[in-house]
Amino acid sequence: MTRTLLSRLAAAFAVVALAALLAPMYAEAQVNPTQSSVNEDAMFQALGTSGTVSGRVTIPDQASGNLIVPDNKAWAVLQGQTLHTLSIVAVVGMVVLLALFYMIRGKIRIDGGPSGRRILRFNAVERFAHWTLASTFIILALTGLNLIIGKSVILPIVGESAFGTLSAWGKVAHNFLAWPFMASLVLIFLLWVIHNVPNRLDWQWIKAGGGILKKGVHPPARKFNAGQKLIFWSVIIGGALLSWTGIMLLFPGEVATAADWQFYQVIHALVAAALSALVIAHIYIGSVGMEGAFDAMGSGEVDENWAKEHHSLWVEEVKSTQARNTAQVQTPAE
Amino acid sequence: MLVKRRTREAATSGRLSQMAAGVAARPLDRRSFLRASGLAVGGLAAIGTIGAGLTRRVEAAGFIDMSQPIEVKTNICTHCSVGCTVKAEVQNGVWVGQEPAWHSPINRGTHCAKGASVRELVHGDRRIKYPMKKVGGQWQRITWEQAIDEIGAKMLDIRENSGADSVYLLGSAKFSNEGAYLFRKFAAFWGTNNVDHQARICHSTTVAGVANTWGYGAQTNSYNDIRNAKTVIFMGSNAAEAHPVSMQHILEGKETQNANVIVLDPRFTRTAAHATEYIRFRPGTDIPVVYGMLWHIFENGWEDREYIAQRVWGMDQVREVVKHYTPDVVEDISGVDGETLKRAAQQFAQERPSTFIWCMGGTQHTVGTANVRAYNILLLATGNVGHEGTGANIFRGHCNVQGATDFGLDVGNLPCYYGLGEGAWRHWSRVWDVPYDYFVDRFDAVPAKGGRDARTPEQNMGIPGITSTRWFDAVTIDADEVDQRDNIKAMVVFGHGGNTVPRMIDAQRGMNELDLLVVADPHPTTFAALHSRTDNTYLLPICTQFECSGSRTASNRSIQWGEKVVEPIFESDNDYAVIHALSQRLGFADEMFKNYEMVDGKFGMEPTPESILREINRGAWSVGYTGQSPERLKAHMRYQEHFDLVTLRAKPDAPEEVQGDYYGLPWPCWGTAELRHPGTHILYNTNLHPMEGGGAFRPRFGLERDGETLLAEGSWPVGSEIEDGYPQFTYGMLKELGWDTDLTPQELATIRRVAGGDEEAMDGVSWSLDLSGGIQRVALQHGCVPYGNGKARAVAWSLPDPIPVHREPIYTSRPDLVAQYPTNPDRRQQRMPNIGEVVQQDVVDRGVATEFPIILTSGRLVEYEGGGEETRSNPWLAELKQDMFVEINPADAAARGIVDGGWVWVTGAEGGSRARVKALVTERVNPGLAFMPFHFAGWFQGADQRGNYPEGTDPIVLGESVNVITTYGYDPVTGMHEGKVTLCQIAAA
Amino acid sequence: MARMKFLCDADRCIECQACVTACKNEHEVPWGINRRRVVTINDGLPGERSVSMACMHCDDAPCAAVCPVDCFYTTADAVVLHNKDTCIGCGYCSYACPFGAPQFPRTANFGTRGKMDKCTYCSGGPEADMSHAEYVKYGSNRLAEGKLPLCAEMCSTKSLLAGDGEIIAEIYRERVVTRGYGSGAWGWRTAYGETVTV
Repeated sequence: MTRTLLSRLAAAFAVVALAALLAPMYAEAQVNPTQSSVNEDAMFQALGTSGTVSGRVTIPDQASGNLIVPDNKAWAVLQGQTLHTLSIVAVVGMVVLLALFYMIRGKIRIDGGPSGRRILRFNAVERFAHWTLASTFIILALTGLNLIIGKSVILPIVGESAFGTLSAWGKVAHNFLAWPFMASLVLIFLLWVIHNVPNRLDWQWIKAGGGILKKGVHPPARKFNAGQKLIFWSVIIGGALLSWTGIMLLFPGEVATAADWQFYQVIHALVAAALSALVIAHIYIGSVGMEGAFDAMGSGEVDENWAKEHHSLWVEEVKSTQARNTAQVQTPAE
Repeated sequence: MLVKRRTREAATSGRLSQMAAGVAARPLDRRSFLRASGLAVGGLAAIGTIGAGLTRRVEAAGFIDMSQPIEVKTNICTHCSVGCTVKAEVQNGVWVGQEPAWHSPINRGTHCAKGASVRELVHGDRRIKYPMKKVGGQWQRITWEQAIDEIGAKMLDIRENSGADSVYLLGSAKFSNEGAYLFRKFAAFWGTNNVDHQARICHSTTVAGVANTWGYGAQTNSYNDIRNAKTVIFMGSNAAEAHPVSMQHILEGKETQNANVIVLDPRFTRTAAHATEYIRFRPGTDIPVVYGMLWHIFENGWEDREYIAQRVWGMDQVREVVKHYTPDVVEDISGVDGETLKRAAQQFAQERPSTFIWCMGGTQHTVGTANVRAYNILLLATGNVGHEGTGANIFRGHCNVQGATDFGLDVGNLPCYYGLGEGAWRHWSRVWDVPYDYFVDRFDAVPAKGGRDARTPEQNMGIPGITSTRWFDAVTIDADEVDQRDNIKAMVVFGHGGNTVPRMIDAQRGMNELDLLVVADPHPTTFAALHSRTDNTYLLPICTQFECSGSRTASNRSIQWGEKVVEPIFESDNDYAVIHALSQRLGFADEMFKNYEMVDGKFGMEPTPESILREINRGAWSVGYTGQSPERLKAHMRYQEHFDLVTLRAKPDAPEEVQGDYYGLPWPCWGTAELRHPGTHILYNTNLHPMEGGGAFRPRFGLERDGETLLAEGSWPVGSEIEDGYPQFTYGMLKELGWDTDLTPQELATIRRVAGGDEEAMDGVSWSLDLSGGIQRVALQHGCVPYGNGKARAVAWSLPDPIPVHREPIYTSRPDLVAQYPTNPDRRQQRMPNIGEVVQQDVVDRGVATEFPIILTSGRLVEYEGGGEETRSNPWLAELKQDMFVEINPADAAARGIVDGGWVWVTGAEGGSRARVKALVTERVNPGLAFMPFHFAGWFQGADQRGNYPEGTDPIVLGESVNVITTYGYDPVTGMHEGKVTLCQIAAA
Repeated sequence: MARMKFLCDADRCIECQACVTACKNEHEVPWGINRRRVVTINDGLPGERSVSMACMHCDDAPCAAVCPVDCFYTTADAVVLHNKDTCIGCGYCSYACPFGAPQFPRTANFGTRGKMDKCTYCSGGPEADMSHAEYVKYGSNRLAEGKLPLCAEMCSTKSLLAGDGEIIAEIYRERVVTRGYGSGAWGWRTAYGETVTV
């Protein structure tokens, strides 16, 4: 895409150059407008095959002065074929991977079994932020994905008019839900960024494969382990990219040229596909993939044993804080 | 044939999808869209206030219900003079569709932007919907009865106190022929020669120049005939924008003939883009450029000596004058080098037939008439008049400016160029069946003033009126300076914009000072909105020519009958009815309308256009408007497909009614309709028998000059029984030739009646006064042209410059040339002083060219026309040009920090005038030259005047008028304004 | 079956905009929607040419390739049409189109677009031929009446040609041979992969 943008810039210069080339020399003897008429072949030769042929229009829509923009076809191929395939591969690929993983590893149980003691992991604000982000993301992902692969997946099943209706609502939902998505993204960032600063422990965690692959292996971790940090930063960075490109796409004409729009659209689609795949994995591990994990975002309280296994250092921190608080309370003031 | 994807489920079924349709966007119909965008709010609100009884719903979308009958009506486009046929599909009284009129030999189905959008004119939300008047500065709705009654009372009041000449009757080139004729007749019955129309400001200098050269003031050939040309010169014509459909013939001709197309223009126009040679020159130097070509022609002996000897008088005198215009002199004045002009001259003289096309680039100058004369001299020197593919192809402006000119909407003529002499008045008195003395009684006596003698009413009848370019001066100037009883006190303006003549600041002052201002138009023009009048201002809704019937004359003199497409919308009414109502109120309707068939109109009685045309046929002998009966014209429209594209002649297999005719019976169409003259496709064409459309130059200027004959020598039209030149035919001449016996007893009786029963006077009855047409018939029968066979004048001794010479524009960018080439001396003309020389000297003395270093010229856009109100009110057109602009060269723009599309102030050289417009930075203009279109109004020196229009009638697009910036300068012959050269300065706003 | 195409002979085009207003007139196209427009290349310079442009009804139309709801279809005359009931106004087609054909009414929130509108080659849409519903959504259906697009029919200089691609290419070829110059069949290479060779 950047290449395209660059080539467009070059083309714009070429138009100027060509104009200069054809500019009349009034001092010269004869001006024969018929003979010096521009010619499509010559123009494309000067511009390169992907150059934009443009001129003057009298209507206010100055973009309509672009007479022929062959590059748009390149975007059409990218959008209609490449991104279409990539999105399918990312989403379907991740589902297949997880299914395979599930077949091999099965559900990750709490090794020590549930203790019955609950420990508060995420408070109401955190859960609200998470679920707002999660629900809007899912709808955005689905409605977005629909724009790319819906016509080959859903359209044949539900028919044209129902699909049109669905997609029209989907577009509205996508446009409106983007705003709560972005708001909760900011909130999540503010709430959790402090816990997601990478440190040495993360390296250990990664070396141990997060303990996911083998039973009974539980590398130590604070509130968030490296895997969760990965999700966090992916969501924050990916979400930011989606937000930025999304806003650009929401206001066509005002903030971007057509070429910019195409560029943003490609970024948006690529990031969305990658993030969707990642979030599918996240959902898997937070639900069917791991016993006890869902509670963290469900009730907010997790089983102590689960916590010890996956976030040993965090549990210790929580316990010591609690102990300190208790001690302070029990010591009467003298 | 069409396979639609119906195999999939129909999308409209099911409520879900309908709901969904509402989600993204309902498909908007046009009116709800306009409503939503706030554009139509005013208009719709106004519609809401109209009584239901009188108006028809205008909610007329373009949907055609195929199950209902469709009526097809043919009319003529109401914009330019090309005369494109418009084919209208009408359903339930609503114009629902416009189809290509394939059969018209003129436009062959095609249109330009304006023609392709005329349907909107009769659906126009922004039309004037009912009569209105200003009361205390507010527009108020009134009835037609009240409007006519009050206007009539005020006119009579002014007549009583100031005289008939104090009411100025400004007519329109958008009238039908019948309307124009009726309006001229109205002026005669009112008793004034202060009657004019747009020809003043487009081709008055052409008419004067051409008529003074070879007899008639009209395009000699036709748009179609240019297909025959091998070399075409455009000078001061941008046909691609002003006459787009003509380019069909020109470009096809260029392709098939491999023709040279030479465009001489200060500005690289859309026409220039299709030239084979483009020559840029300094505005206002047409004569040096033309003489620059002639210099090479004479130098190299490329002139047509035989042609000159036979058919031209005075070329040797021209040769002497041209000697001065050497390549060096010409290059100094105009900026065009000698080699370029030599090339153009050689092509024009040697690659014949050659035609010369000009428009307002040539005519709107202080030297307009002289320019035209120079063009004519070039044509005559090269023998390029009077044959196929040659000629002075003068592209006229409005749809019926030729017809309106022919019918004397002119300060110096009664209908058909009879002039204002006693003979002319007596002729038309006979036609109108009213005693000559009746008119004498109607005219003012003019007292002696300003050192001038007094005039009796009868003398006053013969004095040309004030030109439309000067009416406001005649309002505000000292009464002694106006050569009539009193200043102008009232303007009655039919179909005429107020922003198409220079000095609008002065025009505004004039409007403000009038006692009465009446604007009769489909749209409120600048006359309705520019001023700050509070009372005595009336707006009358007139319908377009699509809402009434009548004939109109295209530029090529073809007359086409338009039939009413729909009834006049809202409370608008046609010109015939309104002129009749006014005449009734003024008390002369019975006399004026007695020859017409009167029928029930919308609000009262009105004359039928057919009966008016029949009266024209009875009187218009001088230009041959006599053979074009309504029946013949209608037959031509009916059988359009039978006319040849190039010759315009009906083919041998055409129906008997039109067989052999030229399309539209281009005038002169001699004799009575029964004579079946075919009309004249090409004027002065000696290659044809006069009965087949042949002719010769008209000897109008005497029989000899300086001891040389002014009759043709050795040249005569095919079939002539007089094989030499001859003067115009009279009864006396018939007798001398012994042809008087060919006259029928009835014809003879009529000639006797014309002579007042005086046998001696009978000899003097000429072909143009003989109401029987007998003299014409007999002359033609003997192969002779009724008006004679003379020479064209290379020297027109009756004009201020008998041989044109260069004269610098008043606001010249070359003050150093003024001493050698000063403008015309000051003079009095058309009842007013012309002080061009004083102004020019002042311009030089004050160093105006230094303070205002950019030459400003003006012109036309394809989307708009004239003052522009009707086109700027048409959303289909208005969308395409939404801002008034000034074209400025990139170098000039860069030097001033001006960017393309940015706002600029253009300041004028007179009266501190200024205009706020957008910059269009383009190479179309050279450094030092700026161009502005003249169709805009509604902004005045930076102020938006939208509030001045009656609610809901304001044009969609408003903008500054170029004529706020343009300056003083008038042609000494016709009073044409200088619209093409002035000086200005431009700065970023 | 005919393969309908447009061809603008730029050596005839004088930017008179008749095609633009004819289109407005025929379909009552609202303000701001320009199904057809005229672009002037090298404005003001010798060699300037104007080209009238609308939907070229491409082979393998890129708009159809990117349309998320697959609302485009191609008629037997090779005219690319779309279904406004399915269209969601996403705008993708306008970014895929090399000719700037798709137009959108500005409606609703966030500067988003209403349903796409474009040149129909005067052949309506999926509604019943010449029905009122078809007229309101797509404009009139001249093709069904046996007429060609009005823009071309009314072109002042017969520059804009419409009809079967082979026929109009032949007309253009003949013109170029007769007059000895031709600035090319603008857009054909991009729309159809090949231009008119003379």
